[in-house]
Amino acid sequence: MKHIRLILIVLLAGLLGFTLISCNRASKSAEKLYLYNWTYYTPDELVAKFKKETGIEIIIDNFASNEEMFAKVMAGGAEGYDIIFPSSDYTSIMINHGLVQELDHSLLPNLKYVSPTVTEKADYDPDLKYHVPYFMGSSGIAVNTARVPFEYERTWAIFADQRMAGRMTFLDDMREVMGAALKHLGYSGNTTDERELDEATALIINEWKPNIIKFDSESFGKAFSRGEFWVVHSYPENVFAELPADMWDSVDFFIPPEGGMMYIDNMVIPNGAKNVKNAHKFMNFIHDPKNYAIFLDEFDFPPTTNTGAERYMKNDAFFFTDKDLVNSDLNDDLGEYLDLYNARWQKIRYEH
Amino acid sequence: MKKKVLKPAKREQLLGMLYSFPMGIWFTVFFTVPLAIIILYSFMKRGLYGGVEYSFTLEAYKQMINPSFAKVLVRTLWISAFSTILCVLIAIPVGYAMAKSKHQTLLLFLIIIPFWTNSLIRIYAWISILSTEGFLNSLLIRLGIVKEGLHLIYNNGSVILVLVYMYLPFAILPLFTTIDKFDFFLLDAARDLGATKLESIVKVMFPNIKSGLSTAFIFTFIPIFGAYTVPLLVGGKDSTMIGNIIVDQVSKTRNWPLASAFSMILTIASLIGVFWMLASAQREAAAKNKNTPQAYEQKVRAHHRRGKR
Repeated sequence: MKHIRLILIVLLAGLLGFTLISCNRASKSAEKLYLYNWTYYTPDELVAKFKKETGIEIIIDNFASNEEMFAKVMAGGAEGYDIIFPSSDYTSIMINHGLVQELDHSLLPNLKYVSPTVTEKADYDPDLKYHVPYFMGSSGIAVNTARVPFEYERTWAIFADQRMAGRMTFLDDMREVMGAALKHLGYSGNTTDERELDEATALIINEWKPNIIKFDSESFGKAFSRGEFWVVHSYPENVFAELPADMWDSVDFFIPPEGGMMYIDNMVIPNGAKNVKNAHKFMNFIHDPKNYAIFLDEFDFPPTTNTGAERYMKNDAFFFTDKDLVNSDLNDDLGEYLDLYNARWQKIRYEH
Repeated sequence: MKKKVLKPAKREQLLGMLYSFPMGIWFTVFFTVPLAIIILYSFMKRGLYGGVEYSFTLEAYKQMINPSFAKVLVRTLWISAFSTILCVLIAIPVGYAMAKSKHQTLLLFLIIIPFWTNSLIRIYAWISILSTEGFLNSLLIRLGIVKEGLHLIYNNGSVILVLVYMYLPFAILPLFTTIDKFDFFLLDAARDLGATKLESIVKVMFPNIKSGLSTAFIFTFIPIFGAYTVPLLVGGKDSTMIGNIIVDQVSKTRNWPLASAFSMILTIASLIGVFWMLASAQREAAAKNKNTPQAYEQKVRAHHRRGKR
C-alpha cells in the first residue's frame, strides 16, 4: 500500500506542477506571432525590431524541407502557426488544397515594393491573393579559382570537364540536378516529355556523374571552403557563409546562362491561424525596404524580391541579380508526373 | 475487522507487475505502436503529396524489386557484413587484453568516453582527418611519404572505416564481459594436454565465449545495416545504403509506403538476428545442463553398466 500511495503522491505533484505551468503560460497574454520557417531564415535582428515596434512577440519553429513542413501540415501538427514559408511548388499545392487564407491587401501597403519579376514568375498566384513572396533565389555553380586557375566553361558543361574530376559535387536534389540537365539541353525544367527526360538522364549518367565525387546537400560549403571540393552545385548563401571574407575573391559564382532551377520562398497564412492580424503586420513589416535590407544583408542575398531595399543595403557585391534568372525555371508541382523523374533519379543515384 | 494479508509470493508478483508497468507502457507506446504503423503503411497506397491513402496494396513491395534498389541492398549487405567482421576481429583481442588487465575500470571508462560526444561531431572529426586537405594527408605530405593528398574519403573504404570506429565499442563490451567470466586455467589445461597456443584459443576459448561473439555480432551488424549518417557524410556518389533510401523516400520522394517497406527489411533482418541470438543462448544453456556433475555421473554409470555385460 505504501508504494501505491507514494506513486499517487508523485503523480499528483506532477499534475499540479503541470497545471501551474500552463496557468502561468495563459496569464502572459502578450500579443504573439507563431512562424514556421526554414532553419536560419529569420534574422534575429528583425525579430527584435518587430517586437520593439509592435509589441508582438515572435515564436519560431523551423523545418529543413518542404516535404517535412507539408507532412506536418497534413498531419494537423502545424496548427497554431500564423505564417508558414513554403517554396513555390508547395505554395501552389497548399493553395490548391485550400489550406491557406485569402490575404487582406488593405493591411499590406508595402506589397507595392514586391518586384514584378517575382510576381511574373509566380504563376500559381500572380495577384498575391494568398501569398506574399519572401525571397527569390537560385542555385548555381561556385568555382574555387585558386584551385581552378585555367579557363573553364561557365555553363553546366563544366561538370563534363575532366580536369576537375573527383573535385566536383552536385546537390543531392532530384529537381535541381535533373532541371540543370534539362535546361542545358534547352528543355523546360518542368518537362513531362519522356524522351527529353531520358536525354537528360543519359547526359547526367554518361557525361557528368563520372566526374563528380558525390551528391551533397549537407556539407558542401565546409568542404568547398577547405579546398576539398573545387566546383560545387550549390546555393550561394551556403557556400559564402562558410568562407572567410578574404577568400571571396577567389570564388566565381555563376548561374549558367542556359538557366537552371530557381526558387521563390513565400509567406502564407494557414487556415486556423489565431493571430491573423499580427501575421499581416509581419508580412507588411518585412517588405518595408529598410527592414528588407536588413534581411538581405544578414544572408548576403541580392535584392531580387523587393524593389526598394537596395539603397538601404550595406552589402553591394551580389552573387547574382534577377537578370541572371531570366532563363531559369521554378519547380512546378508536377503531381503524378513526378514519378517520371523519380524513376530516372533512382537510376542516376543508385544504379549507375 | 481482519485485515487482508497477501501471501508473500503473490504480493511479490503484484509488485513486480506494478514496477514493470511503466516500462510496458513505454514499449507499447513508443515501440510497438510505431512498428505497427510502419507495417500498416507498407501495405497502403502512397498519397500523391506524402502520407498514405487507406487502401490495401502490395505496390510498395513490388517497387522494391528493381535493379537500382537491388544494387543498394547488396552493397548494404556487404558493407555491413565486412564492417561487422572487422569489428569483432578487432574486439576479440581487445576484450581479451581488457579481461587480463589490472586496469579494467580505467579501460572500460576509456571505451565509453567517446559516447559523451555526439556521433555527428565524431563523423565530422573523421572528415577533417581523412579529407584530401586533412590532418592525415598533411602529415603524410610532411613526412614525404606522398607528394599529393590521397583520396581517402568519399568512398566505400572511408564508410567502412568510420562505421568500424563508431560501432567497435558495441563489439568490445559484450566480448569483454564473456571473456572476463572465462576460466583461463582451461587454457593452461589445454596446453598441458598438448594443444598449441592457437589451438587452445580456437578450440577451448571460442566455444566458451560463443554467446559474447554472437551478441557482439548482432550489436554491431544491426545498427550498421541501418546506418544513415555515415554513408551520407563520408560516403561518395556510390555509397548509398538502405538507411539513406528510407530517408530519401520520406523526405524527398514522398513515398511513405516504400520507405515503410524498406524499414520492414531492416526490422526483419534485426528480428532474425535476435532470434538467432536467443536460440544460441538456449542451446548453450542446454549444453551446460548436459555437463552438470549429476549428468556426468549418470553417463559414467551408464558406461559401466554397459561394460559389465
